Amino acid sequence: MTRSQPPSRDSAPPRRGARTHQITAEGRSRAWRRHHRQMALDSLGRLRRRPLSTLLTMLAIAIAMVLPATLWLALGSAQLLDANLDDSARMTLYLDQGLSESQAMAVAERARAEAGVAGTELITAAAGLAEFQQRLGMEDALAMIDDNPLPATVLVQPQSRDPQAAQALAERLGAIDGVEEARLDMAWLERLRQLGELGRRIVLVFGVLFGLGVLLVVGNTIRLAVESRREEIEVVTLIGATHAFVRRPFLYVGAWYGLGGGLLALALLTLGRGWLSAPINAIAQSFGSRFELPGIGPGGSLLLLLVSTLLGLIGAWLAVGRHLAEIRPR
Amino acid sequence: MIEFEHVGKRYGGRFEALADVGFAVERGEMVFLTGHSGAGKSSVLRLLMLLERPSRGRISVAGHDITRLHVSQIPFYRRQIGVVYQNHQLLHDRSIFDNVALPLIIRGAAPQEARNRVHAALDRVGLLHREKALPIELSGGEQQRVGIARAVVARPALLLADEPTGNLDPQLSADIMRLFEDFNRVGTTVLLASHDLALIARLRHRVLRLREGRLVADEEAA
Ligand SMILES: Nc1ncnc2c1ncn2[C@@H]1O[C@H](COP(=O)(O)OP(=O)(O)OP(=O)(O)O)[C@@H](O)[C@H]1O
Ligand SMILES: [Mg+2]
Repeated sequence: MTRSQPPSRDSAPPRRGARTHQITAEGRSRAWRRHHRQMALDSLGRLRRRPLSTLLTMLAIAIAMVLPATLWLALGSAQLLDANLDDSARMTLYLDQGLSESQAMAVAERARAEAGVAGTELITAAAGLAEFQQRLGMEDALAMIDDNPLPATVLVQPQSRDPQAAQALAERLGAIDGVEEARLDMAWLERLRQLGELGRRIVLVFGVLFGLGVLLVVGNTIRLAVESRREEIEVVTLIGATHAFVRRPFLYVGAWYGLGGGLLALALLTLGRGWLSAPINAIAQSFGSRFELPGIGPGGSLLLLLVSTLLGLIGAWLAVGRHLAEIRPR
Repeated sequence: MIEFEHVGKRYGGRFEALADVGFAVERGEMVFLTGHSGAGKSSVLRLLMLLERPSRGRISVAGHDITRLHVSQIPFYRRQIGVVYQNHQLLHDRSIFDNVALPLIIRGAAPQEARNRVHAALDRVGLLHREKALPIELSGGEQQRVGIARAVVARPALLLADEPTGNLDPQLSADIMRLFEDFNRVGTTVLLASHDLALIARLRHRVLRLREGRLVADEEAA
């Protein structure tokens, strides 16, 4: 602003103001990057100088992140999050007891020809029994039964997922000779879907609550940091530091807290998974099946780190913002 | 350089710290602001630094009305002014060098240029050899000189000082004042608040005298 001043009317002493920095746009952006780099390292150094309190803050963030993440994973493993329930939209045709294998095949063929059917799969009585035995691990018990009590079944994959169309199709398929009953488990499907919706909402509520928790943890920690550097903030503000300049070191501290908390949360999730997987595998094995506990995966890990870092950043922003508002001129 | 027109300042809506103050300081002048304790000297300087807004009247600096300056512009305005405080306001966990470099870092000066300027400023106040020391390792007078080096390191057109010799003995006070005169001689406008009447009388600069928030005398340089 001194530069825009017309020459002063008295004997014009050398104008020192005119020599104050003429910083080019390039120089300014270089300075800006330099300050960012400095503050990133400086704030990291500050955190490392207080390892215990840093660790405790990060741990608090981690715990707040682990709970919703675990819920999310649990829901995913129950496949309730999977909106794609195609497999469960199948119909089952129970064929008349005592049909020969070729007769059953003919019925499946007829069902396949019906309009609105995308595909069929025949499970003969013998195959059904074998699968049943294997699933329940009761081969011995069932081997004693002479007659196969199971009917042959045909799994039908309808083209449409519309409940009314599926209902009509089920009625037509039920009328085919040799079909005892066509069962369409719409009620079960609907219930599953609603359960999934409930699960999603629970995750959302917990996610928001624990996210707020992270904001509070970071916000409060940064508030204390601001408090302890109040003098410094006042001095640099007095000599012309912008709000962004004052805010920068604290934003980095907040981001580091968030990132550290996120990494700890990932470690906790991995640890927990390892700890639970042995007993769960044992249980699954006793049922003759294999079950893999779902992991968070690279995409999920990245998302978790991103969210926790962002929460740290926002918490810091709010804490510093409050202080900056206090020291503006009245 | 500085112009006050009918400036009033009330604190808390009742107490009138300044009433109808009007004066002008030309570019390149050196002016003392004096008056009893509570007369309003610091208030004048705080208004100039935009630490406070006036309740009434108009203040312009270098031809710009600063009373309506937007908050986001205040940092850039403050960079045009160097300020020296009685309690020097140094950062105690930073070296002398870092303290003096602060205004340059805020402006984003290149490291090499910053180093040169800090050395030049410390050299001006005779403390180049103490650049690595911490503020507490320095005497009161030395700390005050560091404060002055920080105020001038970015070569501001206007230098403000609030009781810069408040805690110092007469000899040190005279030294400090000589520094201000040096900066004034090379073109910096200087406004100094002080109640050290003996010192002011000796230095023969223009004096603005406040009493209970009013400007009661404007004595031209002898
Ligand atoms: N923030 C404030 N709130 C209320 N009153 C204030 C505030 N700041 C200053 N005052 C009052 O305004 C008056 C002028 O204060 P100011 O600090 O300008 O005086 P001064 O001339 O600098 O005095 P000193 O020589 O003691 O430093 C004083 O009576 C003081 O009590
Ligand atoms: Mg004062």
